[in-house]
Amino acid sequence: MSDKKGAVGPDGLTKKERRALKVQAKQGEGNPAPVENKTQDNKKAVASEKDVKKIADTPVLAELSEKEKRKLEWQKKLAEQNVSNKEKEALSKAELKHKRREQQEAQRLAKAKEDESKKVPVKVEVTVEKEKSPLKKVGSPVKKPDIKKNVKSMQKVQLVQHLYCEDQLKSEFGELIVNYKNVHPAFIRLGVQYSTKTILGSNARCLALLSALKHLVEDLHTPPKQEYCRYLESVLQTCTAYLQNCRPLAVSMVNALRHFKLQLTHINNKLSDNEKKAMLIEVIEIYINDDIKKAGDAISLRVNEKINKSGDVILTYGCSSLIRKILLEAHSEGKDFEVIVADGRPLLEGRELLRRLVQAGIRCSYVLINSLSCVMGNVTKVLLGAHALLTNGYVMSRIGTAQVALVANAFNKPVLVCCETYKFSEKVQTDSFVHNEIGDENALSKIDTAQDQSPLIAFKENSKLMPLTLLYDVTPPDMVTAVVTELAILPCTSVPVVLRINANEVN
Amino acid sequence: MEEQKIKQYFLKIIKEEEDVSIGVAAIRTLLEIIRQSKSETVQELELILKDAINIMKNLNIPVAGITSGCELFLRFITLTTLDASLKEVRARMLERGQMFLKKLNESRNKIVRIASDFILDGSSILTHSRSRVVLQTLIEASKQQRQFHVFVTISAPDDSGKHMHKDLEAAGIPCTIILDSAIGYIMEQVNFIMVGAESVVESGGIVNKVGSYTMAVCAKEMKKPFYVLTESFKFTRLFPLNQTDLPAEYKYNSEKRKNIDLQKAHPLVDYTPPSYITLLFTDLGILTPSAISDELIKLYL
Repeated sequence: MSDKKGAVGPDGLTKKERRALKVQAKQGEGNPAPVENKTQDNKKAVASEKDVKKIADTPVLAELSEKEKRKLEWQKKLAEQNVSNKEKEALSKAELKHKRREQQEAQRLAKAKEDESKKVPVKVEVTVEKEKSPLKKVGSPVKKPDIKKNVKSMQKVQLVQHLYCEDQLKSEFGELIVNYKNVHPAFIRLGVQYSTKTILGSNARCLALLSALKHLVEDLHTPPKQEYCRYLESVLQTCTAYLQNCRPLAVSMVNALRHFKLQLTHINNKLSDNEKKAMLIEVIEIYINDDIKKAGDAISLRVNEKINKSGDVILTYGCSSLIRKILLEAHSEGKDFEVIVADGRPLLEGRELLRRLVQAGIRCSYVLINSLSCVMGNVTKVLLGAHALLTNGYVMSRIGTAQVALVANAFNKPVLVCCETYKFSEKVQTDSFVHNEIGDENALSKIDTAQDQSPLIAFKENSKLMPLTLLYDVTPPDMVTAVVTELAILPCTSVPVVLRINANEVN
Repeated sequence: MEEQKIKQYFLKIIKEEEDVSIGVAAIRTLLEIIRQSKSETVQELELILKDAINIMKNLNIPVAGITSGCELFLRFITLTTLDASLKEVRARMLERGQMFLKKLNESRNKIVRIASDFILDGSSILTHSRSRVVLQTLIEASKQQRQFHVFVTISAPDDSGKHMHKDLEAAGIPCTIILDSAIGYIMEQVNFIMVGAESVVESGGIVNKVGSYTMAVCAKEMKKPFYVLTESFKFTRLFPLNQTDLPAEYKYNSEKRKNIDLQKAHPLVDYTPPSYITLLFTDLGILTPSAISDELIKLYL
């Protein structure tokens, strides 16, 4: 791809250009002028940015003069700021924020235009912005956001209040993409897919992340006087910060990123950029192949040893890609077993699993989590997927899993958790409240099978009603018979040993 | 060595030396095979050893001890560099094998030393079947002038408890033989339970003479500590989920496996899950059940 393209996503801006942008941004902040003026200001700013770019290409002399110019601008701005300080104090924080956002939006629009004029083939970002911008325009002049915020703060459930704060950043979908000029288009698409939950499940999320990472590695152009790996590291930082805003990173993703960053630091500086790229892509591919795919195969083999030739009734909950793989493989090996897919609202992921299993010709039943105790008596084994395995042996998984394990335990049925070791985490957690993720509250008020409207539909107007959807829960180790990993079948308590071994291998 | 000779050698050790556990007997047989083998490559030797293990497994003897001991032995002797000439390799293997065997023989003494401290004056102990290491621990404690009483189950079907009773009486330890069905009755009188194990599995649970599980469940209900005395060469890479998941070769001897409908056969062993076990006394130290899996990972990974 061309250098021009780089100016949009993993940008090829020089340091000076970026500094100029920053100055402009600050100028805007300090200036309490009405909105129209501001946008004009911004247009000017963008124009000057164009100038900067032109100049950057010309020899050093021009740059010097540019520096002086900027210095003058800066001083001017400082003076302005001093004057306006008192006014500024008078403004409420919310209003300030509001204004800032408007300004950024305007800037971005201008930039998008500029990009179009350059005829850069950026597919995703431009389309995303086009989608967003009208929403924005409607929302900005009215005072709506403030009201919304008030309602929101009322609707926080006391017990998990600390979980909402991460939420605020992404509160409205329209505000999602703010000013991430350094984010690669592949990551922007990924972020949208994460936050709309098109990509769900920690394996799928990790694989998607790694493939986006591959695009980033391929497309990144090092600006002059910078080292490729260091530059990639900084770009990756902004990319992951952006993803974090869309949806908190899964443990699998955190581990994959850590592995990648570690390899990044090990790469020889003397190699050319292309060699480095090739090596990094290989690192990613090896990770996908070894830690995810082969691990899945090994786990599938081990679990298959535990599935009898006939007569087994296996209960599973939700939709784990690994469990699906295991069941399909066991079926293709000619084992005769029955599957009960338990499912829970509001995500109802189990339907997807059910669809695939029935398609393959496996005998299935489908129950919701509240009828679990009725079917548990006939079950011989419970197979569960996991989001992460914590150091104290707790299993973090889709909400509802702990309940399934609890019921299975009450019926004395063996509970097998299938989890690749790349999902093992150093974190320790003993309940589901300290760290969790808040899902979409609106989903609770939608019931696709009910004919009448849900009584919950009006919860937004009712300040006494606080719906809560958490995404994960943790299952204590004494409710889990064994964890199946690619290394061995282990008791939950052996997680720290595996972590230690993995750490040693890396060293 | 031919099949017949292997069988003879192995059975001879078991018959003549009562004090030797099955695992050790199997390992000694393997060592003898290495000594006598005329194989020309290391791979061939390994194949021969694996065949020999299968031969021993198919004898009418509980398989649990053989499997774990032999697997560990193979792993231990092949851990050396094997790129020298076969003669040297064989010498090195034999040397390591002897070393392994020596360690095994010492391990029982070590367990006896650490476990006998747990037997206090005036305590009464319940034990199941006949375990060599439990027997020696009791004898050791009695030598230290401690007064205690032992209850021994008859442990059907082979009545090995009677044998144990005889041995204890010979050592001058006061003991009572009880019915297998009297475990619940006797439980409230005892201070703790001490049993051996045929093998220790990855979950931290044990596979032992049938009836151990009953005893463990009963002990848990009555809140009595359940101690297991076992050498580390009995650690096995196996993770049974429940009793049915235990391999058939563990539960039934080879004759039954071939001839009888297994639904009607009596199992020889049962599986005691880790949650019922208080502590395991091994030559690696006193371990909790969850530490077993850690040790196994260290051994095999």
